[in-house]
Amino acid sequence: MSGHTINRRRVVVTGLGMASAIGVDEKSMWANLLAGRGGIDHLKCLDTTPYQVEIGAEVDREATTARLKSLRRRPIDRALDLAMVAASGALEQAGLASGPPPYDEQDVAVIFGTGVGSAQAHHTAFSAFFEKGVKGLRPTTVPRCMYNAISSGLSIHFRLTGANYMVVSACTSATNAIGTAFRMVRDGYAETVLCGGAEGFFDPFFYGVWDNLGVLSTNPDPARACRPFDTGRDGCVLGEGAGALVVESLRSARERGVRVRGEILGYGESSDAKHRTSPNPEGQALAMRRALADAGVTPGEIGVINAHGTATRSNDLCESQSIRQVLGAAADRVPVVANKSYFGHTLGASGALETIVALLGLEAGVVPPNLNLQRPDPECPVTLVGSEPQPVDSPLAMKNSFGFGGGNGVLVLRRIE
Amino acid sequence: MSDAIIDKLRDILRDSSAEDRDWDSVDGSTTIESLGIDSLSILDLLYDIDQDFGITLEAAEVIDIGTVGEIAALLRKRGA
Repeated sequence: MSGHTINRRRVVVTGLGMASAIGVDEKSMWANLLAGRGGIDHLKCLDTTPYQVEIGAEVDREATTARLKSLRRRPIDRALDLAMVAASGALEQAGLASGPPPYDEQDVAVIFGTGVGSAQAHHTAFSAFFEKGVKGLRPTTVPRCMYNAISSGLSIHFRLTGANYMVVSACTSATNAIGTAFRMVRDGYAETVLCGGAEGFFDPFFYGVWDNLGVLSTNPDPARACRPFDTGRDGCVLGEGAGALVVESLRSARERGVRVRGEILGYGESSDAKHRTSPNPEGQALAMRRALADAGVTPGEIGVINAHGTATRSNDLCESQSIRQVLGAAADRVPVVANKSYFGHTLGASGALETIVALLGLEAGVVPPNLNLQRPDPECPVTLVGSEPQPVDSPLAMKNSFGFGGGNGVLVLRRIE
Repeated sequence: MSDAIIDKLRDILRDSSAEDRDWDSVDGSTTIESLGIDSLSILDLLYDIDQDFGITLEAAEVIDIGTVGEIAALLRKRGA
């Protein structure tokens, strides 16, 4: 471990919270992952008649409403609501806030990612504007629609007085947010950060723009539609969701006596600087190399890679090439897993949900199966986890996230022994 | 006895709030202050009244109002 200087603090994760199509609590989510039970289905929250695609990964509405009620809240905007559910789980696990308000003020920062933001609030505002003009605009449209409605909403509800802002970088958002939080704690700018990502965009407009982009699977069978690295893949499946992590210094965690769920060892980021939507293996490889160097880890030490794995041909081929570039011969043995076949592509939340899965896997010493991987694509030169959970001894994992716009973010994670 | 204006005001207040409280118990005697409505929320309330009742109230007209019942009385006076 040569990458750490003496004044850099070790950064650990002490709280995990989630709102996903396979569970709004850790136990359910992990059980579904190990059992190979996905959450993709025909969409219930949206009339999909006008669209080419009618499937997605929805988070249980009753479960989220019940969790919000326990926080004395009502649903107000789906992205914020899902963030609130995930954050409450993470803060409770970290011993920072539990039950209904009021909460004590705490010096905790909130750094969250999103790609779309407050879709529901935007839809309401635009609908009213086009119907009634300026007179149709609600006075509080600005605070409802601003991108930082999510981070500020969390800060205000849980009374967290550290910095609060959003990271907006498409599907890399949450990984960038976690990486930013990691650096803040490591370098002494914050003691504790609530970080993650949230996305709630099953809305007639925002679903429509994705439906129109031509990257979604048109497979009529929801359970089999999302197939990362499989020759039968035909695109990604959208999902709503949120993931939240409490990160803090190891010293702080030990002083507080809370359970440590894993360590963030390094973070790397880069830009392809090539194309708005087509990924580039050199750009992705650069982010991986930077993350490994930051962690002080050699490529061969990595025990498992949690891939971006969107199940588009473009992503799968590019990502497997970039992994091969970085790992070299080690790519013949380091298992690669993708989680989007379980809870869909949650865009700006995906990095958070998938980092949580990677941490749970390190802790348990097992990687969940690659759901729907029946015929691994021979054009993807990596070693893929099969249809059964795979034991992994190594304490080190790498988490990749890549986004439209060419932004790449990679985390290196370690199990705490 | 159910009051249609109070019922509508209760729906407006509930639907624009993120707070889960016992909204069913809101009646004419409920104070605006107890509902946690601040100066910004008052503007939203006036907006919702304008959209739902078709009656435009100015902020100055409601600045001193204490209860939901007083807003209902004002709306009744304005033809609701």
